[in-house]
Amino acid sequence: MASCKATDAVYHADPPPAAKKLRELFYCAHMNHSHIAHFYALAAPDFVLGPMSDPAQRNILGVVAKVGLQIGGEVIKHRAYAQSIQATIGGKATHPVCGLPGGMSKSITEEERKDFEEKAKSLVEFAKFSIKLFNDVVLSNKEYLALITGEIYTMKSYYMGLVDNNNRVNFYDGNLRLVDPDGKEVAKFRPAEYLDYIAEHTEPWSYMKFPFLKKVGWKGFTEGKDSGVYRVSSLARLNAAEGMATPLAQAEYERLYQTLGGKPVHATLAFHWARLVELLYAAERLLELCRDKEITSPEVRTIPTATPDEGVGVVEAPRGVLIHHYKTDEKGIVQKVNLIVATAHNYPAMNMSIKKAAQSLIKKGQEVSEGLLNMVEMAFRAYDPCMACATHTLPGQMPLEVVIHDSQGNVIDRFTQHLPS
Amino acid sequence: MMKVLVLGLGNPILTDDGVGPHVAKELEDKLDENVTIMEASLAGLNVLDLLVGYDRAIIIDSIKTRGGKAGQIYRLDLGEFEVTRHAVSTHGVNLVTALELGKMLGLDLPHKIDILAIEVAETDRFGEECTPEVARAIPVCAGMIIDELKAGGAACTGDAAFD
Repeated sequence: MASCKATDAVYHADPPPAAKKLRELFYCAHMNHSHIAHFYALAAPDFVLGPMSDPAQRNILGVVAKVGLQIGGEVIKHRAYAQSIQATIGGKATHPVCGLPGGMSKSITEEERKDFEEKAKSLVEFAKFSIKLFNDVVLSNKEYLALITGEIYTMKSYYMGLVDNNNRVNFYDGNLRLVDPDGKEVAKFRPAEYLDYIAEHTEPWSYMKFPFLKKVGWKGFTEGKDSGVYRVSSLARLNAAEGMATPLAQAEYERLYQTLGGKPVHATLAFHWARLVELLYAAERLLELCRDKEITSPEVRTIPTATPDEGVGVVEAPRGVLIHHYKTDEKGIVQKVNLIVATAHNYPAMNMSIKKAAQSLIKKGQEVSEGLLNMVEMAFRAYDPCMACATHTLPGQMPLEVVIHDSQGNVIDRFTQHLPS
Repeated sequence: MMKVLVLGLGNPILTDDGVGPHVAKELEDKLDENVTIMEASLAGLNVLDLLVGYDRAIIIDSIKTRGGKAGQIYRLDLGEFEVTRHAVSTHGVNLVTALELGKMLGLDLPHKIDILAIEVAETDRFGEECTPEVARAIPVCAGMIIDELKAGGAACTGDAAFD
């Protein structure tokens, strides 16, 4: 979707309103499918089964065994609903082929709209159920609440997210809003101005870059207002905005901040709850768009007439702000590309979260158990990172190495998985 | 009549990674009407969605093994895959876990899934065609699938050197 918007900009072709709505509808369906998968496959095992539970059970299969097959069936059904909406609009659910400079390749029929509406209604109910499950399993458990709000998983940073004209969270369009660690707005800018606000630091030990706020500067891997480290994705979007644009999601947004002590929330594990607030928003917004009279309009394309040159497209990917920037020749052949993907924005913060969790959890004389290492992993699983996307490589598996040093810096233990030989 | 899915997995613009879709293309119009041929650049839970409703599936994908010779074709079964069930990202839920979940939930999944993996050489460069050794394996693999579906048995051209 970011590439689609970037090509609109390259060709100076503003899509008609129905095309923008159709894209947003498609995108809300995508958010539904991605957030459902993340919550049930990745977040829930740590909470439903417990962070220190048997790793053989601590997975989506264990979650389904515990919460019941009926709920498992609902997870698969609603993921499939969202995917089928995407496939109908986009030709394919993943890697859709519907986006063109200036709009969409085809409109939807009234019959398709009705089908989407029924599915959207069900998705709203499923999002409400998922929040209730989180409430029952996580929030009503004092130990888990303490884990979420505790220092181990807390990091004070700036936050960035896409907002609409009323500073509400928007996944498809708007301006980028930045708030500082106290929640104060420090910038709001058009996506095309991103280079004025974001720069990238490099380290010799990583082939991924470390984005930071240009006006604050790179001060190393440090927290707080003086450090240019910022975060994106679900909790960051909520922190960077002033609310949600749909009623049920807004109520849940308010409950999140009431429960966790006001804005902004710096608790990394609260990214999971924020993701569910967004799931509810995505479902409600999906339903709104399905009921929009313009959504079946055949006017879904502005034919480009200008000479293509350069453009930036920004959306909120499920994992956070996604920036595509293309420069082309006069025939539209791409000459230069710059992408900053969500996982890259969060990369400095992820490193810091892992370090903090590891240093807090691994203590002298204590056996480093698999459960303890899982609790370190939880610090970065909350970000829903995709290192393959962020590094533009396709490793297939997540290489991980944990090296434990004593106070003199001597290596006393080492745990590895999937390291290249 | 038994419903069969032949699924070519891979990215068709990433040189040899597209070998699965190329085999699927090669099979167009060569199989009976109870066989659906599909191409996809998907993994895990998304592949699960595609498998629902079929009695049997044959998946063709690319593979890189240590010391493997480009163009070799391996027959794999699901038990041979190392399983990391608790993934880090939603991009990481693997096929074995997805299938176990599907079975647990009583989804209508194929009772037999065969995986044919073709050893590849180049997957880091953009290109819509495979390298020569891998391209030569495309009709061979397609022929294996035709024979397999006719006879219910199959052969392969190499042994995988798994770590």
